[in-house]
Amino acid sequence: MILDTQPIETSGRFDPANGTAKSVVTSDATRDVTRSPMVPTSELRPSHGKSSRRLSREESDALGRELDAIRAEVLADLGERDVAHIRAVMKASGAAAIAGRTLLHFGIDPVTFVLGTSALGVAKILENMEIGHNVMHGQYDWTGDPALRGAAYEWDIVCPGDDWRSSHNYEHHTFTNILGKDRDIGYQFLRVADEQPWEMRHLAQPVTALALAVFFEWGVGMHDLRVAETTRGEQSVAELWRRSGPFLAKAGWQVAKDYVVFPLIAGPNAPRVLAGNVLANVARNLWTFSVIFCGHFPEGVRVYTEEETKDESRGEWYVRQINGSANLDGSRWMHLMTGHLSHQIEHHLFPDLPAARYPEIAPRVRAICERYGQVYATGSLPAQLADVAKRIVRLSWPRRGKRAPSAAAA
Amino acid sequence: MLSTIERRLSATLRDARRTAARRFLVDRQTGLWRSELAWLGVRSRDHARITAVLDETPDTRTLVLEPPRGWVPHRPGQWTRVEIELAGVRTSRCYSLSSAPHDPELRITVKRVPNGRVSGRLHALRAGDALRISPAEGQFVLPTHPARLLLLSGGSGITPMRAMWRALLESDAADVVIVHHARTRADVIFGAELDALAKRRGFRVVVRLDDEHARPGEGGFDEGALRTAVPDLFAGSAGSAADLEEREVFVCGPPAMMQRVEAMGLPRLHVERFAAMPRPAADPDATEVLVTLGGRASPSGRTLPARTDGTLLDQLEAAGERPASGCRMGLCRTCSCLKRSGTVRHAISGAISDAPDEIIQLCVSVPCTDVELGPIVQAAVHSAMPHERAAERTLDPREKLARRSTQKVDPR
Repeated sequence: MILDTQPIETSGRFDPANGTAKSVVTSDATRDVTRSPMVPTSELRPSHGKSSRRLSREESDALGRELDAIRAEVLADLGERDVAHIRAVMKASGAAAIAGRTLLHFGIDPVTFVLGTSALGVAKILENMEIGHNVMHGQYDWTGDPALRGAAYEWDIVCPGDDWRSSHNYEHHTFTNILGKDRDIGYQFLRVADEQPWEMRHLAQPVTALALAVFFEWGVGMHDLRVAETTRGEQSVAELWRRSGPFLAKAGWQVAKDYVVFPLIAGPNAPRVLAGNVLANVARNLWTFSVIFCGHFPEGVRVYTEEETKDESRGEWYVRQINGSANLDGSRWMHLMTGHLSHQIEHHLFPDLPAARYPEIAPRVRAICERYGQVYATGSLPAQLADVAKRIVRLSWPRRGKRAPSAAAA
Repeated sequence: MLSTIERRLSATLRDARRTAARRFLVDRQTGLWRSELAWLGVRSRDHARITAVLDETPDTRTLVLEPPRGWVPHRPGQWTRVEIELAGVRTSRCYSLSSAPHDPELRITVKRVPNGRVSGRLHALRAGDALRISPAEGQFVLPTHPARLLLLSGGSGITPMRAMWRALLESDAADVVIVHHARTRADVIFGAELDALAKRRGFRVVVRLDDEHARPGEGGFDEGALRTAVPDLFAGSAGSAADLEEREVFVCGPPAMMQRVEAMGLPRLHVERFAAMPRPAADPDATEVLVTLGGRASPSGRTLPARTDGTLLDQLEAAGERPASGCRMGLCRTCSCLKRSGTVRHAISGAISDAPDEIIQLCVSVPCTDVELGPIVQAAVHSAMPHERAAERTLDPREKLARRSTQKVDPR
């Protein structure tokens, strides 16, 4: 291996002295970033044997322009078929919910119980993933249909829509994978990146992660309350209480709906309906947990420091989205059930394009990534999930598996 | 006393039921399936069903509609906003209701505009199709006790007049003059009805046609045409004012006709504009002023330059803003907005608004000085206009996401 003896002018990207960006044209094209002692450790992690090439600002911006062109093309092509798709999914989800509830309420045998619970689970997954998440991103605002208005949509989960719109649409999608700014990195209690400092409580994280999987909607719902910040003293209890209001209201209605009113309507079938609703919600929780954890935490996805992302250009923002996300391979149905979050990279590049368009543009995005030497992380759901599980277990111990910079250079 | 309590109780119960339906997401389900259940005779709250389509002239059709559930009867002369989906995008236009309030069905009469996307789609509709319509609106309505009237219309401007004369047939109004102007005999909408009306007591109908009454090359309607049509209305008996000055005059027609009639300075004139307003002509003397936007779109207040010869709506859109808007002709008030300071001119009436904190309509307000606006309601409809999309593309993603997110959160 050849060591690059030229020091990298990291200060060239952002000059604190005068606060302006200077684009330094260096031998970027030939420099292998893993050998530089100056770059952050996060870049040293091998991603399935390879890592993204570091791009100059000019290169990033050129990449950004190519992505902008794709975006413009899709925007200009939006029309009837996008509306037809989302309405068809809404109808399918609605029909599945009605069918599931009918089977649960009027059946007495285990077969209808399993069928009913599955149908209800599928309805909730479609509603949360393909409809709720995507509509709330404003992907269908251009239609002018009030039922598809992102700012007003409320989804079938204990998390209030408004909380989600600020914590996910704004914070997570803007500051994706920036340590200290993206509160979705490990959701404030899991250690999913080497760069996060290890604490004693991380020892238990294989168990807490499993618990989170089962109660995922509650984790999502309480995410914006900032409980962890309050226990650390970074947020006042009064503020926690203020933030709790909308969550408690939404959760109350959801609990009343699934666990009180619908079982009561069923009369003697109440226990059966209650059990079906609990199982449907848990099934949805497990599925969404799996999909979402595979989006940002598999090996090969990197995190950024605030310093790195200061003064970031639009092109560099795109590059961060590519390197901060991972896709899932699968069939058309699999993509639909994940709400097209199986195209996490495309989603993070274009969060407001209708998600059903992601599979269409994915080959072109991938080709662009290849041309610019950027890792387009993708894998099957079981493989990526195993990856994430391994990482959660590995990082529950301090310093294990973390390679020192010198080791990489050797 | 008891009935008051009962009414209050039932209202409270109804509200509670609605809230629960919304929170349990049941309302969405019912909304989703209502259109599917139309065959069961379930009427929608915002959809009218087309029961018949009538050809009026070669380019004009009347859609006969079964009103939506809970339709509040309109007043003769009012209009409704018709909403259809074009390439997935909801698009709306205002149409006068051409049926009278007591008619069992609603009617709108649509003239096909060359290359008009909405009118073209409306002409393609058949009986059985559904149409989203808004509650009736508009101030162009018959007085409660009509005395002497002149209904003056040109082309498809006759549509609100039909609602009026049908209502007048039911009242005891004894002196109604109807003057209608069209290009040719074949272009006269409701021609047969006008003929029948002419035979009714208290009604007088004059139809003026360009190809029969005007000298070649001189078409259109003006004061001269009105004088030849109804000369007696201009003559007053000795010592009194002309008949025309005491009549309630309702006028609706092409912009040129409206301008000429308005220029006559009739004291009791009611106007309805149904054609998009002509854009203010580019004025070489126009100067540049600054418009400051308030509200969440830009917490710091975005300030942008505007010219004194264009409407605020056009100029804000050109600058990449997406204010909610509707008719774009000062009717529907979708684009109403608080003006905190500055002076604007009404593009149609020329009225000046210079007091602080007045509500103005962006689509008909031309800035005269620097203007400071209050919060602007953002458009729900992502307009298909290319310049808007271009503006959105060039936005920094952070800024864009910040705009999208509904509220709060300081990134730091």
